Amino acid sequence: MKEAKTTSKPGKKLVIVIGSMVLFCVLQISFNALAQSTAPSSNSNAFWVWRWMGRWHPMVIHFPVALILLATLLEFFTLKKFTSPLRPAIKLLLTIGTITAFVSALLGWILSKEGGYEKEVVSIHQWVGIATACLAGMTWMLLNSILKKNQTQFMIAYRFLLLLSGLGILVAGHYGASISHGKDYFSSTLPWSKDYDASTKGNFDVTAFKNDTAKLTKQQAIELNIQVRSILAHNCYKCHGPEKIKGDLRLDRRDMIFKGGEDGPVIVPGDPIASDLFRRISLPSSDKDAMPSKGKKLSEAAIAIIKFWIQKGAPWPDSSEKSIFRIAALAPRNPVLPPVTNELSNPIDRWVNQYFLKNKIVWPKVVEDKTFFKRVSLDIVGLLPSPEELEKFIKDTRPNKRALWIRKLLDQQDDYATHWLSFWNDALRNDYTGTGYITGGRHNITDWLYTSLKSNKPYDRFAKELLSPNDSSKGFIEGIKWRGVVNASQRTEMQAAQNVSQIFLGLNLKCTSCHNSFISDWKLTDAYAFANIFADSSLEINRCDKPTGKYTGTRMLWTTLGTIDSSATRAVKQSQLATLMVQASNGRFYRTIVNRLWAQMMGRGLIEPVDVMDNEPWDQDLLDWMAFQFQQNKSDMKELLYLITTSATYQLPSVGYKDASKIFAQQYQFTGMLRKRMTAEQFADAAATIIGPLFSDSMLMYHPAPSQILNKPNFARAALVSNNPFLIALGRPTRETVTTSRESQSNLLQALELTNGERFNSMIKKGAQTWKLKYVNSDRIIKEIYVRALGREAQLAEYQIAKKILGEQPSPSSIEDLFWAILLLPEFQIIY
Amino acid sequence: MNSHWDRRAFLKKSSAAAVAALAAGAPMAGFLAGCNQGKIKSTADTVILLWMAGGMAHTDTFDPKKYTPFSKGMKANDVLSTFKSIPTALDDIYFSEGLSAIGKVLNKGTVIRSYVAGDMGHILHSRHQYHWHTCYKPPQSVLAPHIGSWIASQLGPVNKVIPSFIDIGQRFSLGEGEELKAFHTAGFLGNEYGPFIIPDPSAGLESVKPPIGMNMSRFEKRNQLYNELMSKSPMGEMGSDYQKESMRRSMEQAYMLLKSPEAAAFDLSKEPKESYDIYNTGKFGLGCLMAKRLTEKGARFISVTTEYEPFKNWDTHDNGNTRLADMKKQIDAPIAQLIKDLDQSGHLDRTLIILASEFSRDMMVEGRPDLKVQEQVNQPDIIQELKNYGMHRHFTDGCSMLMFGGGIKKGNVYGKTADERPCKTIEKPIRIEQIHQTIYHALGIPEDTHYLVEKRPFYTTPDGLGRAAMDLFS
Repeated sequence: MKEAKTTSKPGKKLVIVIGSMVLFCVLQISFNALAQSTAPSSNSNAFWVWRWMGRWHPMVIHFPVALILLATLLEFFTLKKFTSPLRPAIKLLLTIGTITAFVSALLGWILSKEGGYEKEVVSIHQWVGIATACLAGMTWMLLNSILKKNQTQFMIAYRFLLLLSGLGILVAGHYGASISHGKDYFSSTLPWSKDYDASTKGNFDVTAFKNDTAKLTKQQAIELNIQVRSILAHNCYKCHGPEKIKGDLRLDRRDMIFKGGEDGPVIVPGDPIASDLFRRISLPSSDKDAMPSKGKKLSEAAIAIIKFWIQKGAPWPDSSEKSIFRIAALAPRNPVLPPVTNELSNPIDRWVNQYFLKNKIVWPKVVEDKTFFKRVSLDIVGLLPSPEELEKFIKDTRPNKRALWIRKLLDQQDDYATHWLSFWNDALRNDYTGTGYITGGRHNITDWLYTSLKSNKPYDRFAKELLSPNDSSKGFIEGIKWRGVVNASQRTEMQAAQNVSQIFLGLNLKCTSCHNSFISDWKLTDAYAFANIFADSSLEINRCDKPTGKYTGTRMLWTTLGTIDSSATRAVKQSQLATLMVQASNGRFYRTIVNRLWAQMMGRGLIEPVDVMDNEPWDQDLLDWMAFQFQQNKSDMKELLYLITTSATYQLPSVGYKDASKIFAQQYQFTGMLRKRMTAEQFADAAATIIGPLFSDSMLMYHPAPSQILNKPNFARAALVSNNPFLIALGRPTRETVTTSRESQSNLLQALELTNGERFNSMIKKGAQTWKLKYVNSDRIIKEIYVRALGREAQLAEYQIAKKILGEQPSPSSIEDLFWAILLLPEFQIIY
Repeated sequence: MNSHWDRRAFLKKSSAAAVAALAAGAPMAGFLAGCNQGKIKSTADTVILLWMAGGMAHTDTFDPKKYTPFSKGMKANDVLSTFKSIPTALDDIYFSEGLSAIGKVLNKGTVIRSYVAGDMGHILHSRHQYHWHTCYKPPQSVLAPHIGSWIASQLGPVNKVIPSFIDIGQRFSLGEGEELKAFHTAGFLGNEYGPFIIPDPSAGLESVKPPIGMNMSRFEKRNQLYNELMSKSPMGEMGSDYQKESMRRSMEQAYMLLKSPEAAAFDLSKEPKESYDIYNTGKFGLGCLMAKRLTEKGARFISVTTEYEPFKNWDTHDNGNTRLADMKKQIDAPIAQLIKDLDQSGHLDRTLIILASEFSRDMMVEGRPDLKVQEQVNQPDIIQELKNYGMHRHFTDGCSMLMFGGGIKKGNVYGKTADERPCKTIEKPIRIEQIHQTIYHALGIPEDTHYLVEKRPFYTTPDGLGRAAMDLFS
């Protein structure tokens, strides 16, 4: 290095070193500022030379450490005689030590810019290091003065500074080692240390927020608080919660956590370092102050979230007077219908008209007959209309023909029941096969469900029979029981509580089955009180799978709905629940089903997710009015579907979204039905209608009683066969848990199943042979497949492409390829 | 290096939180989860799980105890091992007879002798298998993803035309098939990360080539037809939507996969005969061969199973001794060859191979010595017939595992079981959440990885409490 050669003129050298240091500081600061303005978090794109040089710091640093410490040590041997023979050695050690100290400081500065280190420690290390280099420099100058100019009055100052330099080296060295080896480098090797996981030491950049004045939005503050409470609940409540209050400290409530414990407050909002809570969770588990004292140290991310939360002022929205969570009204409501305008007489349209006016949306024209008929047929009976029916419908000239044909579809009892069976199987997790059956731990309710749908059982009775069941309908609340011991939050009584509240009330009790919820105001005892309805005797409350020795009574979730007799038998309690559930004053129960059926037809609920009925609907009046009318109108599901499908609202052009997340965004605005992808069952049945069956009759798992209805499909409908890889790939759920929405996006496994899966490809192969014999020539085949699959004739360009493949004399394999291409078209698979 | 706490990442994630709070059932990456991504230096890119389905007795495989040969009238309680011990590549470390080939490569990996399986009461194999593969005990209120799906979702494929989660050797039409299906799933992560299932490796190619009876040129023409018709469809004028986009994208992916030259990795007939014959000990051996071929072409997670079928293969409720001799023949040569081949091709360094079973077996103890469960096997105290000679009861308190490659210590023995009955874990017990986190750590996946499902955090290991066993790594 250039500097090294100039040792003959040490004064000049010092100037050079200090000068270049200043230069580097300026360079680094400006470089840093530049980097931050473009990419605030990353410095990894620094010029490689800087990075390369920086890496020398840990090596070079050993010179000043060894040399200055040795000089300090030797100085002690010269206390009696300053001109000891050791003097030239001390001078040499100090000279080289000082030079390398400056070089190290410089390299260290560069290295620190590379980032990735805990900045607070780096900052201490850095300034102690620089100070030490300066001290060493001053010491060296004093020694020179003493030796050259014989200024012995500096002797004490010199020795003092030398000692200080030595101490500086030790301090800087300690912090340096902490950076590269971790703070617990030594302590973790001690036999009593439980901290065996030394590799994941903390080194995230917390100072990035120091000057960050950006405030969290209210929503972010709530989300952050929920995360913090989730961490506290899983790690701390055991000893600092409602059950145990160690050290007089409770962390589960806002007032309690800020009050602190026996040693005073544990949180200083805005200052994590001063917060005892943060200090103690950050300690290595070997420390006697470390928390949790029993159980594992918190994960780094958890500690980081808590630190960030305290830094941000420890937001904990006040929930003591008013809930931070939106709570929907329970009671029914019957808003006054807006007047008839624009010839819109359907009540739904009158509400939507009001909504459109408010949101400045112009009514688009309703879709033409062909699109409407395919849509409504798939939505009500799950089947593609035949070309003959479609033609009849189009040629029908009656002014109210849409309503008449809707009625006709609703009257196709078996088709209707088969189609809606899939929706209810998902929701009630009913399937022909699945876990639990093997040891008698599950019961099938298909026959009850099918006949209930076929007879259009009023929804209140339908729900009552599930809640207070007989043998044919008990599967839903009996749940799934695996052999062996299960987690307390998954015992069948608790499964019933979770599933009943989710399906009938749009309420999620899953958190609350383990501990007090932090995403709602529901408490653990509420979940147990509700689960007790499904239990023979009161259940012992388990908190996070640990028995508490406590019990609670038997209650409906909302006591305003009425009481349940804790001492009654299970059957009586369930029957009481059934009555309370379906009473007219339980508006939530009716809103939940209306919202679900609306979502099935329109592709999106008025409230989303459909299982969180506390969320805000995009039109409260419409939902309330429909729910009220539904209840008044004998809870007739078919009549509700009739009301929806006969509205102009349902018949608007479908709306497609490029970005699926927008559908669920808070600012969602209704402008029409969402485009839907056919379900697995709709797709399989549609393909079967056009070409041939995908499933043999022997695969049928349920045989509905013979029906008088004509036009019954002559193939095994997908809803009635057991789940299989084809249907799974297309999105039929396994029904191990309650499912209320299906995947709407395609994926590779699905595409593979359709591209080379045996079931689908052998079906179209067989179909192609039949068509070859039946329709013989290419033109006819092209016409038939377009009309049957897409409800229209091929356009010229399409005809030409198809003809190119088929030729004049189509081979079965070319017909097969045409089938494949048409059935995979988005135009076929999407309900427009 | 990224600072893990930058404000943009926070704001991005929290606004995503606001959106997903509304999204129907869609899981979202946890709040600030993944901020640690890239922090762990990965030591593996690929994981191969060799699954000994049905309960592999540790004392008759990788942790042999005192051998007592069969004799009429012998006391059952005297029998700890029904095979002789044989030396391995490591001094003073012995395997059970029949595992000599694996023993000879033990200098390339670690034998774990202290796995403690979960306590779930009355034994049901598929339930313990569910626990092993998902780290969660069934039932669960949300669908728990298979470890392969977690890995696929976090890392994606190595080679984009090879599915990131491949499951070889299991049929689902057998007993407990429904229970097996319950964990062979991506669960809430979505079908996209689900297993690509190859029940029979010798027919594996059929899963990745055009449909039977279709040659490549017809396959290409068919695809072209599809694309042309799609572009001419009048619905194209209705603008694009996400469903259509995802359909188009996945069809293209499938097409690329089915016509890619990499698909040859699935074709075992392309393997030189000499090598093929070493692997060809049956379906499992050929599964190992496929795993080797796929790893060399770039796979992410492969599971090869001896296949679970109640009372078959490792599920030895009778004739334990004779049946294990046969099982060892199936696994010994192919596993050793897999390790040697990957070592030779240089892939072993970045491939973590794990051999495991849902629990072990013992002649006397059902469950754990201090937590016995309902007995399911009738074991006479005095053995008169050969069929009663073997480890037939389900033992959860000391099980053996193997780990090779991917940064794991070489020539290492981890943990210990007692030399006298009960042969339970007495040193360094290791549980499933540590095993999972060790695998995730090797792959560079942070231990706090989680998603919010219905607003509840769901971690790779329950409550995110699992920690990697760092002393397994070299």
